[in-house]
Amino acid sequence: MLIMRSLLPAVAEQLFRDIQKAYQETSQIPDDLLIALKFVFGPCALQALNLVDQHSVTCLSSSSGRKAFQVIGGSGRLYTCFVSCHYCPCPAFAYTVLRRNEGPLCKHILAVYLCQAMAVTQEESVSDQQMSAVLSGTALP
Amino acid sequence: MTDILTGVFRTFTSKTDVKKDLTVVPASACSALLLGDSSISRSVLLLSAVTAASELGVRVVFFAQTQIQSLPVSLKKCVPSLSPESLKKIKFSYPRTLEELLQQVASLHESQNTSPTPPSLIIVDRLEGYLGGTHSGDKSSAAHLSALLCDSAAFLTQILKERSPSSAPCRLIASYRSEVDSDYAGGESSATDHILDVLDRYFQMRCTLDRDRSYEAAAAGLQELWHVYLSASSITEDCTTDSETRPAVAKEWQLLISADGSMEFKMA
Repeated sequence: MLIMRSLLPAVAEQLFRDIQKAYQETSQIPDDLLIALKFVFGPCALQALNLVDQHSVTCLSSSSGRKAFQVIGGSGRLYTCFVSCHYCPCPAFAYTVLRRNEGPLCKHILAVYLCQAMAVTQEESVSDQQMSAVLSGTALP
Repeated sequence: MTDILTGVFRTFTSKTDVKKDLTVVPASACSALLLGDSSISRSVLLLSAVTAASELGVRVVFFAQTQIQSLPVSLKKCVPSLSPESLKKIKFSYPRTLEELLQQVASLHESQNTSPTPPSLIIVDRLEGYLGGTHSGDKSSAAHLSALLCDSAAFLTQILKERSPSSAPCRLIASYRSEVDSDYAGGESSATDHILDVLDRYFQMRCTLDRDRSYEAAAAGLQELWHVYLSASSITEDCTTDSETRPAVAKEWQLLISADGSMEFKMA
């Protein structure tokens, strides 16, 4: 379970729980939950679902136990997101979230939440040093 | 084990001044941002590091741009349990740039930093030095650094609890000096510190140090008198807890600095 769920409003947390349950039972997200997703998160909901369809989210793990998420964006660029708080190096996060305070997250972070709820996150092991490079943003994309 | 700032404030409170059993910082708050003049912030950070290492016996990682040549004499007088052994628990690192700081914080999970025990306190002195300050700083860099610090503290908490389930979480304290002069009482200011806005997203508590400009300090025979205000960050405040059931938090303190440099906290 993602620790950063406590950073979301209760309605969003409940929505992810509902999506998780529905997907476990039917392997799809029902229309009413898709509508709710769009209502809560706006335009980035559909963009995030596209990223989920494209298997864009990978959970990196190193031998120390440290984890991070990497999301392949629409342009093919890799974005590193943290497991316990909201941050994404993408321009949308910098503009919409940080500068204009118009939402708690970007499509990449939302894609992480959705992949976790649907249990479709890819898994990859990296060395401790590679993990440090990824977390600090010094790794090559 | 008490929270670090609670420990510092209580340890350096006059014994005659202990009133109600108030907490300083809610137990759920793991990150605090110290706002104020650089020199006083550094003193409080050093006090926190030394208290954590000597009184609580935990490991501390202290990041700063400028080297700390030696501990202030006043600090050595304040902390009677200070010893070379306890000082060894504090690791001082001096990354010069934001990139170096990011790399060092990002590598805290590596085995050489978590053995024999992981740090329980991460301190970063003068964030503005790394982030470029109020007017020239980049918000995305501020968010990256803050998020990395918080995520690292969360990971170290996990490791601490795996090794000992009763361990306290890993705490994070950083100092930041805003170039925007805002009035505390009203919070109104003509300019906004955009970097501070970003930092507030990630740090749960704000501890503002404001120097007393009246004659109160001189009247009391003090070198300096500081007002210490504690507040929860507006964005990350826990909205799910009913405010009536939260433990009482002492929100206003004073920091008294005598002519010989000794420091004492007092509830306002």
